[in-house]
Amino acid sequence: MSDHGGEGVAARLDHLSKRYGARLAVDDVSFGVGQREVVGLLGPNGSGKTTILRVLTGYLRPSAGAAQAGGFDLVRQGQDARGRIGYVPEDAPLYPHMRVNEFLAFMGGLRGLQGQKLHKRMDLVFERLALQDVRSMIIGRLSRGYRQRVAIGQAILHEPELLVLDEPTNGLDPRQIIEFRGLIRGLAAHCGVIVTSHILSEIERVADRVAILLDGRLVAVVRMDEIAAAGSDLERTFLELTPGMGNA
Amino acid sequence: MVLRALMAKEIRALFVSPVAYAIIAVFLLLSGYSFAMTLIVSKQATLVHIFFQAAMQLVLLVPILTMRLFAEERRTGTLELLLTSPAREIDVVLAKFAAAMTVLLAMIGLTLAYALVIGRYGQPDWGPVYSGYLGLILLAGALVSLGLAVSALTANQIVAAVVSLGIFGILWAIGSFAALLPPPIDNWVLGLSLLGRFTPFAVGAMYTSDFGFFIALTLLGLFLTVRALARR
Repeated sequence: MSDHGGEGVAARLDHLSKRYGARLAVDDVSFGVGQREVVGLLGPNGSGKTTILRVLTGYLRPSAGAAQAGGFDLVRQGQDARGRIGYVPEDAPLYPHMRVNEFLAFMGGLRGLQGQKLHKRMDLVFERLALQDVRSMIIGRLSRGYRQRVAIGQAILHEPELLVLDEPTNGLDPRQIIEFRGLIRGLAAHCGVIVTSHILSEIERVADRVAILLDGRLVAVVRMDEIAAAGSDLERTFLELTPGMGNA
Repeated sequence: MVLRALMAKEIRALFVSPVAYAIIAVFLLLSGYSFAMTLIVSKQATLVHIFFQAAMQLVLLVPILTMRLFAEERRTGTLELLLTSPAREIDVVLAKFAAAMTVLLAMIGLTLAYALVIGRYGQPDWGPVYSGYLGLILLAGALVSLGLAVSALTANQIVAAVVSLGIFGILWAIGSFAALLPPPIDNWVLGLSLLGRFTPFAVGAMYTSDFGFFIALTLLGLFLTVRALARR
């Protein structure tokens, strides 16, 4: 089983641990995300998924171990590493008073994009995410689906090497979820993607590999094609690797 | 470039909300009333009383301005967007500081109309006018930086406002407790008084120690804000 699935590494966690006071939220987790690979991060609530994503994006500092993105250490070379990441936090936080184009220009400015380059990148994002019709609209007036796309737009504007998506299908209707699936596969043609979701079937359809967490520990990293070759599916694999959760 | 993008966003955010306009309107209404009444009654070309009143109004109004700056971003989750971008914590803090100071400088700047009036119709001593405005700007800087530090510690705007108001109130009035304390502690406590440090500016007697006090307090507030953001 490969540690990462692509030809290069978009991100890597090495013996990562994160402690909140006395509670160990993430315990000695190591795995990588390859370029042009989609890795699904699965686990019950409180298993450390969001904490891992927050360390991987530089929002939280690891208590032990290391995290890298685009070849840069998130602590020692934080600014360089963060410049290579696109991140959509859970619930896709945005500035509701801003217009879509204004928000993207602002986020581009934070990533050093300006002038012609910024406008070209924005046009590309509008086209790829079908945001042309709402580009001048105020974010607070957009539907949940459009807001999610705007959040992804800011994350891919600077062509990141790693795209981090925390529960990106939360609150989307079935049609939007289907569209979203295609979108993630399309985005993975340009960068590594790490995605969490409560919906196993979503992960099953978009991920090349899944990393399964339980109580902050990594219990398995498995390739989707290996699961299929074994005649199993993700739901069965998940239940086997996270025993006792069905009784919760 | 990053700082410029952040500052533009912060300034716009403050001016699209009604909060900045409400603060400026209340400030000008109260100070304008005092200016007019004092001028009519005393007929003296001075702004000393306006400076003291403006300083007191800053103590009351700055918490309303700073309470949302970080608390709102933390509550809505947009702080995570900012801090996972290549922007540094110090950039985010300086942008918010600059935006809040822009509002306050605009507000203080509009009171220059009072100086124009007394200059047109009287013969004011301009020294205390200049030093009074300098004192107000320094006081505003110190209050904004401390208010930012409090806002960076909580996701609740009301908590941020109340705690900031409490800290400002204590620092403003702490000089009155000094008389109850033995020397040399009384002098140390007196040295922390915002009122005690501001008074020389308002009456036209500037000291470098008072200037240094406000600068140091501003830098301390900014440092604490950066530390509050980095603690995660």
